Amino acid sequence: MAVAITKAPRMSRARRHELFYGLLFASPWLVGFVLWTIFPVLSSLYYSFTRYDLLQPPVFIGLTNYTNLLTDDDFFLVIQNTLWWVILSSPIGVASAFLMAVLLNTKIFARSAFRAIFFFPSIVPVIVVSSVWAFVLNIQYGAINATLRALELQTIPFLSSPEYAKPTLLLIHTWMQGGAMVIFLATLQDVPRELYDAATIDGAGSWNRFWSITIPMCSPVILFNMVMAFIGGFQNFALPWLLTQGGPNRSTEFFSIYLYRNAFQYLRMGKASALAWIMFMVIITFTVILFRSSARWVYYRSE
Amino acid sequence: MSQPKLNRRDFLRMGMTAAGAAALAACTTAAPPGAQVPPTAAPADAPTAASADAPTAAPADAPTAVPAAAAPTTSAPPQTEAGTISYWAFWTQYSDAVKVFKPLLEEKLAPHKIDIKTGVDADQVFLTAVAAGTPPDIGTGHHYIDYMSKGQAIEVADFVATSSLLKKENFSEAAWNGQFYHGKQYGVSAIEAFVRRGLNYNTTLITEAGLDPENPPVTWTDMLTWHKKLTKFDTAGNLKQIGYDPTDAEGGLFATSDGTFLSDSWGFEWFDNKSKKFNIDNPLMIEGLETLAEFVKIIGPDNLAGMRSVQGQGTWGGSYNTGIQAMILEGYWHPGETFHDKPEVSKVNRASWMPVSEARKGKKVQQGGGHMVFLYKGAKNPPQMAWPVAEFLNTKEHCDPVFTSVGWLPDFKPYVETVDASPYPGLDFYIKSVKEANEWHYPLWCEIETFVNTKYNEYFEKVYRGQMTSKDAAAALQKDAEKEWKEAGFAT
Repeated sequence: MAVAITKAPRMSRARRHELFYGLLFASPWLVGFVLWTIFPVLSSLYYSFTRYDLLQPPVFIGLTNYTNLLTDDDFFLVIQNTLWWVILSSPIGVASAFLMAVLLNTKIFARSAFRAIFFFPSIVPVIVVSSVWAFVLNIQYGAINATLRALELQTIPFLSSPEYAKPTLLLIHTWMQGGAMVIFLATLQDVPRELYDAATIDGAGSWNRFWSITIPMCSPVILFNMVMAFIGGFQNFALPWLLTQGGPNRSTEFFSIYLYRNAFQYLRMGKASALAWIMFMVIITFTVILFRSSARWVYYRSE
Repeated sequence: MSQPKLNRRDFLRMGMTAAGAAALAACTTAAPPGAQVPPTAAPADAPTAASADAPTAAPADAPTAVPAAAAPTTSAPPQTEAGTISYWAFWTQYSDAVKVFKPLLEEKLAPHKIDIKTGVDADQVFLTAVAAGTPPDIGTGHHYIDYMSKGQAIEVADFVATSSLLKKENFSEAAWNGQFYHGKQYGVSAIEAFVRRGLNYNTTLITEAGLDPENPPVTWTDMLTWHKKLTKFDTAGNLKQIGYDPTDAEGGLFATSDGTFLSDSWGFEWFDNKSKKFNIDNPLMIEGLETLAEFVKIIGPDNLAGMRSVQGQGTWGGSYNTGIQAMILEGYWHPGETFHDKPEVSKVNRASWMPVSEARKGKKVQQGGGHMVFLYKGAKNPPQMAWPVAEFLNTKEHCDPVFTSVGWLPDFKPYVETVDASPYPGLDFYIKSVKEANEWHYPLWCEIETFVNTKYNEYFEKVYRGQMTSKDAAAALQKDAEKEWKEAGFAT
């Protein structure tokens, strides 16, 4: 059978010139991307097959780091904690951000001030947020417990009880949804008014307008925020590390904290790299599932 | 028209290649560890393992008479080309002393300069720099066992052999032995290295509770009795004051360069550095865990976690200095640090022997070791250039400002013997304890001590929260340690 081979048309001099300058101007980013992203990512993949303590050269041990995790009770504990966090914090965080945005998109009194107030927590550094919440929630001297104590009531161990610690972190996380809220707010303002007008003429109530217009029109952004929330949820580190350091009784020891301990406290960089790659695969899986499911619930205007 | 030798495209290509190569070179580690220093023989009198023969009797050797301010002599050849020596320390409190001794040190190091960094985070900064091949010339940044066992510290026996100050007789046996790993000397005991065991108590709180500060507890049974009387709640059951927190300060450490108070107190070694065997799952460990858990059960685990998460109280010894905790297990530094942090608490501070188990009543236990400096492989300058700094750290010019500004002492006997302990109530006990102790311990140098320490605290929490028996916790810790030992590549 004859195969027709078509030769790619030769680039014109002007086109090559253009390509050259394009690459030249993009090169700072390209070089940075290769050096500071691709190289470390591929290095970590290699290290995940090694025993590497940072201070001595890595020793190749094949899949041992991965197989050892199968008999690691700590690994399953942090998986359990992390899944709890991701499954609850992602939808709750996105839903609260969306509802806040809907609320702040209505004509309420001092709307701009409320927008600023709700957005504020997302621009405050996590270290400050942690300090403030530690002050508010501490069982000994926290503002809430000090009030309870003054009233001779039993204090609430928000961050010091294994039962309360994760829900308390979830509460703080929900409070920090200003970034997602702003994205929702921008999306809401982009929903055509005529859709609401038409629905109102057709007799749709506020709930029906919200359910049949607002949510579908915002669904691509809901998907985006959900994906980001899932990724952020799996990588959750700063808040629990600063507030509880994984305690009490390891109730807030999430995947990233366990990874950090292995890398920088136990000097098990090979194992930590394996953990990072497992996390990466889990995030990819969750993201793919989310994208696959999006065909059923995400509405794109162009469709 | 002649062709240019280098056209624009070639020039740009070469430029990009050079830039890429330079960036890649910057990413790779510096000179391979150990490139600068020839191996030296271990001193003939060095122990074969840090833990060998521990516990031992109190060291009786008198130090050789060395004037505290004597100029050290070394074999370091004079450097003709001036350079800058880098010296890092992880403490933040050290900075005031640095201001005082730095000009004196620089004078001695002339023509070299010295760049001193304090408050260098031991994990994120120090360790990363060592791992990346950009360590300081000399420094102290925890991870002692890691740097010794993983070939990052330079052996110093040859330097020490020529030093007029750093002689074995000038240090306690415990501190001296702590400088060795597998028979080779890597560390120089310095800066904050005096004895580590003592029970400090607040005499005001003790007296208010109707207890006698002249007769402090000597066993854990006595300690528990005091703890019950000193732990107070308000009418709603909220914690107001605690007697003793077994997770705080030295009490909260299981496996570090400061040794292990639990095993020192109950009288066993949890790790044998010669055979590399763990001895955690034993009746004394179980008894220790069970006893210490009782203290937390009285406080309430949630109350304790809450109290420790308060800014200032969750830090090392913070709750004692705020007057919330009446008793604390601490090293010699406690009187001095408390004096500088809370003078009003310091006035009522007193120190005595660390309690021991009932079966070991009468044992006066002391622990040496403490901190030391290393010369790091792969550092910018040759080690002989930084070595005079190691010697300087045990001279009066260095020790005086450190003692005055923070209350720290080296283990260097000629200096400690000149110290006036009176400004720091409680310090006198520690100085006398060197001669009075009848059982000494020093660091076990277990290669996975950070892991064991973390797991100890995890299992201890399970015990005091009633989720695990102390027997199961000891067994689980032993199992975890053995598994980690194997997975970390130490099993042969």
